[in-house]
Amino acid sequence: MDWDEEYDLLAAGGAAERSFVERARNALPDDDDLDMPHGPPRPAAVPFQLQQPAEEETPLQQLMRHWTNERNCPDILPAQEELLVNILDHIRRQSQTVQLLREDASTSEDEHVRIMLAQTEMERVKFIVRSYIRTRHYKIDRYARFITTNAEVQTRLTAGERDHASRYANILDRHLYKCVLQSLPPAQAHLDDTAAFVPSMITQPDKTRPVFAHARQDCPPIRLPDGTALEMQKGHISLVPYHTVEQFVVRGEVELV
Amino acid sequence: MALPESLRMSITPPELELISSQQLLEIVPLISMERTAFISGAYGPLRPPNKAIVPIWMAVNLKSKKKCHIVAPAWLNVDFLQDRLNYETSKPGFSDLPFRFMEISKVLLDVASDDLEDPDKLRSLLKDLREARQAKSRDGLKRLDHSELSLPNLSSMEINEIRPFFVQSMHMLTQLVREPSAA
Repeated sequence: MDWDEEYDLLAAGGAAERSFVERARNALPDDDDLDMPHGPPRPAAVPFQLQQPAEEETPLQQLMRHWTNERNCPDILPAQEELLVNILDHIRRQSQTVQLLREDASTSEDEHVRIMLAQTEMERVKFIVRSYIRTRHYKIDRYARFITTNAEVQTRLTAGERDHASRYANILDRHLYKCVLQSLPPAQAHLDDTAAFVPSMITQPDKTRPVFAHARQDCPPIRLPDGTALEMQKGHISLVPYHTVEQFVVRGEVELV
Repeated sequence: MALPESLRMSITPPELELISSQQLLEIVPLISMERTAFISGAYGPLRPPNKAIVPIWMAVNLKSKKKCHIVAPAWLNVDFLQDRLNYETSKPGFSDLPFRFMEISKVLLDVASDDLEDPDKLRSLLKDLREARQAKSRDGLKRLDHSELSLPNLSSMEINEIRPFFVQSMHMLTQLVREPSAA
């Protein structure tokens, strides 16, 4: 099931049910019952850490990290399809629970606080999901022609996104052809000329754009454009061109802030 | 389009606040609530007057309904911030503060100033800190070159503030350096 479909279901109020098998396949190891890190989050001995990294990341924290990475990254990052399906599934279950509780007239005053908190959280999560998907869509629209010609980028997209990219590129081509190109001499009617000393006509992600990279763990040395090496310790923050840290971002060793 | 122009270059401060609000915080609840499963995890149970740990957004929500008191984080007090301010004004580097201290202190001072000690003094210290650090980060522009700039202890809001200008400048430097070898 792809994102858009998931999302439509969600927009429709989460009423639609998926088959049990599919739910089971995508379900988390039921994290409703999982205990969250409790006890003081910052032990007194080490009062300040940049983040709260000691515990395993929850799915939501992962999504937030991928969201900020995507927002700050000039390129399109690998799609987090499974994670997103998990979270959307979770939102849907939560909204069903809330719906049931709301309809129940015997729900007490205390319950209303819980319902209100659950709804607040759902809105927060939905905002992040929406923003994440929109950021990707923006990049896909922008680089649509490049995506259709580059197999490597396509591996980073979901089936739905690939489909969207090729349809969008198609429509745009047709539009440009009908408006202008058809009345030009054939030699000038291409959309993919590669003239010397002129930027390519196909917009590509600019990987030399600098990003603020924050090391989530100690990283092996990276080679900088001026030839020197930089070894990022955990917590280190640097402004570097994106291509130097690309691999680390994909592997999750570095996040973009 | 899919993403409005204003959101393309950078994350906005309200979005940073949203991210920060996921961090955990101690509260003293005034209502009781069973342990409840949320999407980000299970929180509770709330049993006044025992302290409980919840995400900041939840604390803020409860606080605005007068259903809890917020316990200030260990770094949000006059002594600590004064200490950091002394460091900022006497040493060249940035002092070590929580990565999202600006967002969190702003949220807490907005909704829970009555739970903090001496909020006015806190506000003025935070403002001084901000100004001292801002001067330093602007000074850092001198060290900018085309390959790397280390920014130890810079906080998320400060990064966001300098992002457009620093990214643009570095990008320009990259292009200037690259041209000769490419041609």
